[in-house]
Amino acid sequence: MAGLELLSDQGYRLDGRKATELRKVQARMGVFAQADGSAYLEQGNTKALAVVYGPHEMRGSRSRARHDRAVINCQYSMATFSTAERKRRPHGDRKSTEMSLHLKQTFEAAVMTQLYPRSQIDIYVKILQSDGGNYSVCVNAATLAVIDAGIPMRDYVCACTVGFVDETPLADLCYAEESGGVSSLALALLPRGGQIALLQMDARLHQDHLEALIEAAMTACKGVSKVLDQVVRQHLQEASVNSAE
Amino acid sequence: MIKTEKILHLKSSRGRKVRVVREHYLRERVPCCSCLCQAACDNDGKVLPGDLTHYVVPDVGVVVDYLEILEFRELQGVVFTQTACQAVQHSKGRRQYNRLRNLLKDPRHDCVLFANEFQEYSYCPREKGESQEQWQTRCVYSAAVWYHNHLAGMMDIVMITEDRDAIAQYGSLNAGVYVISVQALQEKESEASQKEYSEHLPAEVLEAGIKSGRYIKGTLNISKHRPQNEASIMTDGLSNKSTDLSRGVLVDGGKNRNRAVHGDVVVVELLPKSEWRGKVTALTEGQGEEKGGEENESQPMPTGRVVGILQRNWRDYVVTFPPRDGTQSQSRNSQRILAVPWDRRIPKIRISTQQADALQDHRVVVRIDSWESTSLYPNGHSVRVLGPAGELETEVQTILIENGIHVAPFSDAQLREMPVNSPEKPWTIDPAQAAERRDLRESHLVFSIDPRGCEDVDDTLSVRSLPGGKLLELGVHIADVTHFVTEGSLTDLEARLRATTYYLADRRYDMLPAVLSADLCSLLGGVDRYAMSVMWELDAHTLAVNKVWYGRTIIRSSYQLHYELAQALLNGEEAEVPELSELGPEEKDAKLAELTQALEMLTHVARQLRAQRDRGGALELEGVEVRAQLDEQRNITALVPRQPLEVHETVAECMIYANHWVARKIQETFPHQALLRRHPPPRQEFFSQLVDSAKARGFAIDTRTNKALADSLDQAMDPQDPLVNRLLRMMATAAMSQALYFSTGLESQDQFYHYGLALDRYTHFTSPIRRYADIVVHRLLTAAIDLEREAGLGKTLANNKELEEMAQHINNKNMAAQRAQKSSTALFQCLYFKERDPQTDPSCVADAVIYSIRNNGILVFVPEYGVKGPVYMKNRDGQVVAAGPDGSCEWQSGSVRQHSDHISTTSSCGTSTFRLFDHITVRIAVHSAPFHGDSLNLEVVSNKPHRSPEPQQTPSQGRSQLVQEVVRLAEEASQQAQEKKAAQRPKLSKEEREFRQSKTPNLYSLLEEVRELALMDMDTAAQVCATTA
Repeated sequence: MAGLELLSDQGYRLDGRKATELRKVQARMGVFAQADGSAYLEQGNTKALAVVYGPHEMRGSRSRARHDRAVINCQYSMATFSTAERKRRPHGDRKSTEMSLHLKQTFEAAVMTQLYPRSQIDIYVKILQSDGGNYSVCVNAATLAVIDAGIPMRDYVCACTVGFVDETPLADLCYAEESGGVSSLALALLPRGGQIALLQMDARLHQDHLEALIEAAMTACKGVSKVLDQVVRQHLQEASVNSAE
Repeated sequence: MIKTEKILHLKSSRGRKVRVVREHYLRERVPCCSCLCQAACDNDGKVLPGDLTHYVVPDVGVVVDYLEILEFRELQGVVFTQTACQAVQHSKGRRQYNRLRNLLKDPRHDCVLFANEFQEYSYCPREKGESQEQWQTRCVYSAAVWYHNHLAGMMDIVMITEDRDAIAQYGSLNAGVYVISVQALQEKESEASQKEYSEHLPAEVLEAGIKSGRYIKGTLNISKHRPQNEASIMTDGLSNKSTDLSRGVLVDGGKNRNRAVHGDVVVVELLPKSEWRGKVTALTEGQGEEKGGEENESQPMPTGRVVGILQRNWRDYVVTFPPRDGTQSQSRNSQRILAVPWDRRIPKIRISTQQADALQDHRVVVRIDSWESTSLYPNGHSVRVLGPAGELETEVQTILIENGIHVAPFSDAQLREMPVNSPEKPWTIDPAQAAERRDLRESHLVFSIDPRGCEDVDDTLSVRSLPGGKLLELGVHIADVTHFVTEGSLTDLEARLRATTYYLADRRYDMLPAVLSADLCSLLGGVDRYAMSVMWELDAHTLAVNKVWYGRTIIRSSYQLHYELAQALLNGEEAEVPELSELGPEEKDAKLAELTQALEMLTHVARQLRAQRDRGGALELEGVEVRAQLDEQRNITALVPRQPLEVHETVAECMIYANHWVARKIQETFPHQALLRRHPPPRQEFFSQLVDSAKARGFAIDTRTNKALADSLDQAMDPQDPLVNRLLRMMATAAMSQALYFSTGLESQDQFYHYGLALDRYTHFTSPIRRYADIVVHRLLTAAIDLEREAGLGKTLANNKELEEMAQHINNKNMAAQRAQKSSTALFQCLYFKERDPQTDPSCVADAVIYSIRNNGILVFVPEYGVKGPVYMKNRDGQVVAAGPDGSCEWQSGSVRQHSDHISTTSSCGTSTFRLFDHITVRIAVHSAPFHGDSLNLEVVSNKPHRSPEPQQTPSQGRSQLVQEVVRLAEEASQQAQEKKAAQRPKLSKEEREFRQSKTPNLYSLLEEVRELALMDMDTAAQVCATTA
């Protein structure tokens, strides 16, 4: 069998979604009490746990402290059991370092760091189960965690991957699609303003298709933001009910 | 949407089992693509009509195995399930899956795809312990149920499956959803099986069947005239005891032939007697189109069907890619082309290629890979492109490949083995060899007689009286090729592979490199050469053999004569001998007298030898026949003698004598491993055409012995028409068996007999330059001489089995060479007429003689061009030839009646009759067949003999008509070739040189060549080949 058919003639993807449909997103905020903020997010079969500490004083070398804003420290890791085959994943490998850096950039763009000069915000994200779109799931989970920590942000940061198959952009790729040789693009968006926090693409793509792809990615991100918004509102409701009691 | 999870167990790239979890989203709204839909599915694209009796939901197995049936456009309302499609993709691969996809896209096919696995209610997750097949069947069934419910019961759903359990399980679960097995469906619709052919039986069954006599084993031989339908099996002599099988077994039609290809060794089962059929004897036009009519058939003969193939004899085939047109539109996607083989007996071959467009109308060499029982045609792949059809080079290559002849230029390694002879570094005699060989340079007057301009002289003669006057010494000296070509060397292997020099109409492919064939092995005048000699001491009066000496010699040919010169000397005419032109008159006269005396002595000896052979019961048949043929074959471009010269026969007689004595020698020395040549007596039944035809003219032919045959042929002379005798002789030759090389260990001694030459032992010894058999004989003779000198055998000789294999190989190659020569002649004939307009050009109208009568036409021979072919009395529209009062013929509606010696047509203008041996006028046109070679088409113009417009075309100088005709033919061919070549490269000298090459005057080779020209019934010929091969 040479190559999976990623998009059938009837417009179905491998898992039964249509091209623009997202995977099912489920999330909970405030899963840990010790941390300042935490969130758990599932997007399809990709599951991530995000924990936020801070803002707090600079730890370690003080020299990194900025006098006008907070420093965001991100750490990304994958659980050994996150993939089909168990695999030891040491800290600091290239992939996770890169991912950490991307997350840091994304959140430096979204968090209002200038409110906390000379302080530090730590964001730890762990992938518990990996099934494609790890970056976007991490961003979405971290957003909820930051909100849970009560750190002000300009907007939700919503991320989504899109792929390009048969002249059609596919939203929110799963692992089978990602590994099926699709040129994919990851985009983190501040949906309300339509500002792009991060855009990353490794594969080759014809220039003509880029616009359509970004358009599809932004639509997908807006879809994610609606879900996240709902989660936050529900969490607030529950929290207020709890505190009222 | 509902999210579920699917758990799959996949194999990782490293082969480990991996548990993979995939999401699987289900939805309620999946389009059903039916117009009966009540739920307003958004059906875009194809929609199933609502006015059908039922929809069909095929099960996975059905879709996978019977996709071809589902492709029928007659089938309407087919719902393919996603489950089935995926199964096709998994088990059958991309190609099959794409076919299915195209099917679904094609608006003409009434079928849709239902994504059942994404439908919330039709999806069923695989249960623990459930096999994949069971699960798939369940999925398909639940899809069928969903359809029924979705369409609110307005449409019955039929699920077809191969799984019997499924029928039992689901059959009565739901009203309106029926589960049927494929077999039931087949019975219901009485549909033919999807297989084109029945399967072959396993080898053990065949073997047992052959042993018990239930099946018959033989080689399949497809009729050239009716390749679509008619084929026969030639059985091995041993296996059939019953006499009615001796004529072979007929295999009628493609179904009974069951994928066997011409030449395969097959096993047949006889059909019941009621189904036996006869061969069709009517002439068919063009490409084997069906001529209906049982009345045309001859006696029913055993008929069978092929049940198995023991051995495929597939070779490389030349095919032509058809031009692209609408008829092959469906194959455009898959790029699979049905290519038409050059040989009509080979079925069309299906070829997958990306270059179909580029190869249109090209001739391509292909190989057959397989022939599945499900396929109407075999699959093949292309090997090499020869070039566009119709070009001379392509056609010549086609002829070579079709006859299995491979003549690459000699390789460097082979040429490196050759001795050098250049002006700077002349070749000289090795002193060691000189010591070993008998030196005849001084003692003997050696000369050669060959056609004018010949450059490969492989035989020379000498004759002298021995002191005392009572004894003569006759010597035949043959080029010593084996000295240069050592056994097992690369040149030897190549020569063995080629087995003979190939002569085509416009070119020649040598067996040995030119440095040998034209120089060092050629016994040219005035130079020292190695030779292999046979010398007889004969009694001067009785010519009884006193002593025979065989051995290696060194000779220097004093005179390189040509036939005309030799004859002139014999006749005492003034002739200029080039070797003597520079001498003084006295010396010249003395030398001339010496030479003339030698020639006279030689002629005397040859006459005596001939008479001896005649007394021994020699066959007169080939004497006359060959005398005429001799000139024709020898002198292709040189001047043609007015009559056959006696000197030809003299030389030929000496060669036959040498061959005979060498055969005796090697057979006596090596009784079990000598290579001889035999000519089995012909089968009497083959003479029937000859006897019948002769009877029509009132001649009686006695065919009981070779001598009786020759005598009666001599008497069958029509004083008005010399052609009658010639035609009768040709028929006689056609009835002959093929002469063959064989190893003496294989046959008993009474089988050695040579029917044509009336000799008890015969071999080929005198032309080692152009025949490999002669090289083998030379080696045998050398070994025999060594043995005599008690030098012991240098190396072991080939044993009987190896020799027999080699003999077979040489026989096959000789036949291939003959066929190639014949085809190339036909090719050039076609080229000649192609450039002429048959309606206007007078050369396209010629005189023809009727030599055979068939149901709907006659076979004629055109002496002017040496063309034979059918003339139809009845055309495709059912019109017949009607002759007007002035003899001119036109097509009229009417009827044809065949009698034993004439055929008559009846039409409104009256009755016209065509008798055997009548002269009629025919028009020759080229029948162009793009896939096969072109052929000539003859059409009757008048039933009166043709009056040639140019009287000089039939000069009354006593030239034999045959000579004239063939020379004309050859000239035309050479002209043609020169024109062709000149157009390509202006180099004519090559042709000239090639045409001047010679073949040794050897009567027997000639008799075989006559066979080619002979009026052979192809079926008979095929039988001859098969039985004698």
